[in-house]
Amino acid sequence: MRTKARLLYCVLVVLAFLVVPLTVAAAEQPILLGCPLATAFLYGWDSERAIKLAVDEINAAGGVKVGDKKQPFAVEVIDTRDLEAAVPVSEALLAVEKLILEKKVNFLVGGPVRSEAALAVMPLLVKHKMISILTTGALTPKYNEIIAANPDKFKYCFRISGEAKWMVMGELVPCLEEIGKKFNLNRLMIMVQDVAHARAGGDILKKVMSGKGWQVLGDPVVYPTGTTDYSMGLLEAKKQNAQVIIIWMDMPESAILLKQWHDMKIPALPFGTIIAAAEQPGFWKATEGKGEFCLANVVNAGNAPSNATPWTQKFVDAYKAKYGLEPEGYGTSSSYMSVYVLKDAIERAGTLDPDKVADAILKTDIMGVYGRIRFDPKTHQVIPSVDPNEGAVGTIFQWQAGKRVVVFPPKIAVGEILLPPWMKK
Amino acid sequence: MDILIYGIINSVALVLMALGFTLVYGVSRLPNFAHGALYVLTGYITWLLLNRVGLNYPLSMVIALAITGLIGAGMYHFILVRVRGMAISEIIASYAIGLAILEGLRWGGLKGGTFTLPPFVEGSVLLFGVSVDYQRIIVVVAGVALVGLLLLFVSGTKLGLALKGMAQDEQAAMTLGIDSDRMAVVAMAVGSVLAGAAALVLLPLASIIVETGYNVLVMAVAVCIVGGLGSWNGAILAAFLIGFAQILTVVFLGAHYQIAVALIAIIFTLIIRPSGLFGRQKELEERV
Repeated sequence: MRTKARLLYCVLVVLAFLVVPLTVAAAEQPILLGCPLATAFLYGWDSERAIKLAVDEINAAGGVKVGDKKQPFAVEVIDTRDLEAAVPVSEALLAVEKLILEKKVNFLVGGPVRSEAALAVMPLLVKHKMISILTTGALTPKYNEIIAANPDKFKYCFRISGEAKWMVMGELVPCLEEIGKKFNLNRLMIMVQDVAHARAGGDILKKVMSGKGWQVLGDPVVYPTGTTDYSMGLLEAKKQNAQVIIIWMDMPESAILLKQWHDMKIPALPFGTIIAAAEQPGFWKATEGKGEFCLANVVNAGNAPSNATPWTQKFVDAYKAKYGLEPEGYGTSSSYMSVYVLKDAIERAGTLDPDKVADAILKTDIMGVYGRIRFDPKTHQVIPSVDPNEGAVGTIFQWQAGKRVVVFPPKIAVGEILLPPWMKK
Repeated sequence: MDILIYGIINSVALVLMALGFTLVYGVSRLPNFAHGALYVLTGYITWLLLNRVGLNYPLSMVIALAITGLIGAGMYHFILVRVRGMAISEIIASYAIGLAILEGLRWGGLKGGTFTLPPFVEGSVLLFGVSVDYQRIIVVVAGVALVGLLLLFVSGTKLGLALKGMAQDEQAAMTLGIDSDRMAVVAMAVGSVLAGAAALVLLPLASIIVETGYNVLVMAVAVCIVGGLGSWNGAILAAFLIGFAQILTVVFLGAHYQIAVALIAIIFTLIIRPSGLFGRQKELEERV
């Protein structure tokens, strides 16, 4: 009898050791975030870092409450290579499919980064009922238009960062008008990269600025991805007395354009609507200050230090503490926020079911790093604004004496726009 | 005038990019598809020595060139010698080495546009009313000097004459006691140093980016095919033709089409004169 009792006791102890960890493990089953990103490029690696920062913070605080249990986030990053010259869109499709089918991720956040790839992935998301929050790149307005044309079908597709139309109409044009008034400038040259969002943005800008009394000097000059010499374009700008040069390029080679602009002392203010190289904190050192006076639109607040919301500087400090540098440019704060938005939606939905979480995302209304985060119910696009209390606020900064000084929109600006000395008469 | 000035600068830049590739092919009939990778590697090593080790600029450049030369020689000695004479294998092997170098650099952290080398001289000058920075003038001077030095080397030194002999007729050179493999090692080392030298002169105008390696390879191959594989004179002429065609394309058609120039030049050459402007390999077949 005693032996039987002992045996029973041992069995119970063994079972306890086996069952308890299994229960704990089940409770800690991570919610897997798939991140298709062009990790060799700024808009990929900064997003990866920001997503991991948010995940670490959320996990450290106990994870995500799904119904009555808490689950941590885990991250699976895959390199889509979609920002590289000559890499076909199909590569990005394969990367996303791998995340969904092989890695079995629960949600997608991040890219694909190139507009062409993001558009191509949309049917895949529908097919697999996979929620995707675009956080970086993919600026094409076409994305919202496709969703708006069939919101039920594309109910899993969201974008929490900016898009080209708002960037032009809501940020770039008002900022240009301000520059025009302040310095009496009105001659504009547009230089864009040969990719969908940049070409579309350049064309819209030409049309809009021509209607606002600005003299747009010819059609946008289109440069292939990877161009390393801009001399002839810059000489043309000088010949035609361009006063502002709009640059819309997400390739690192845009640094070369600014170095040439400086060396040739082109008397025109460079304004990067999207200018990957100049957005990064290391740009000043890399160009030995040659990029001074360049303006850069980093799309959302928080991608450069400012006090847009109480969370902005907190995010900047956390990023700096973890990675040793300030948030690096477009895609950083939006990638960070996407994880918090997803956490909020999952907790409200109380489940990981994609249909319910998608409905919850649509009802998002939280104050984030770059203002009030809400999604347009028709287009699933984050609602933009020039006021952080109303919507996702943008940021245009200018390199001044080694610092990225936010100069637009006025609600969050911390400095004034300056002209390079060789432009002053 | 700007077309003339920038046409010359662009052409000389292409000469610099293609010189090493042409030399290696001319001597050993080996298409070194790691040429672009060696270009980027030299720039990155220089950057590391300058910014991480803290050496001065000239010393960093010399050490980087020496390392690149050794890597080039090692590539032949340890790998390419095994596939020599098998054209496809040579291409695959050298391209694989190049790929490993470039993607290894990317994996190691060479990303974005923040890796740059300072120009030798800061500032710019007006040449016939056209603004040109000093570094671009240095590119032209360096290009002329390198071509001159190379000509002196191949005509005025025993080693150079041996290389020239190999380039002209490998079988005849071998009957005179010239060691073909040794010359190929020397050619790979010199060709790699030339790729590195091009990088050191051209990269201060740009950034050290992995993608540049692929671009430089395409340009070097285009120049060599148009000029005639292995022909140094042909390479120089082709570089000027492509260089000016690129600038004219930018001015009259748009920058957008510039990238197509080199590829169109290759296609036209292969259709009209497959051996290139100064090529000799297929002269007989063409005549037939």
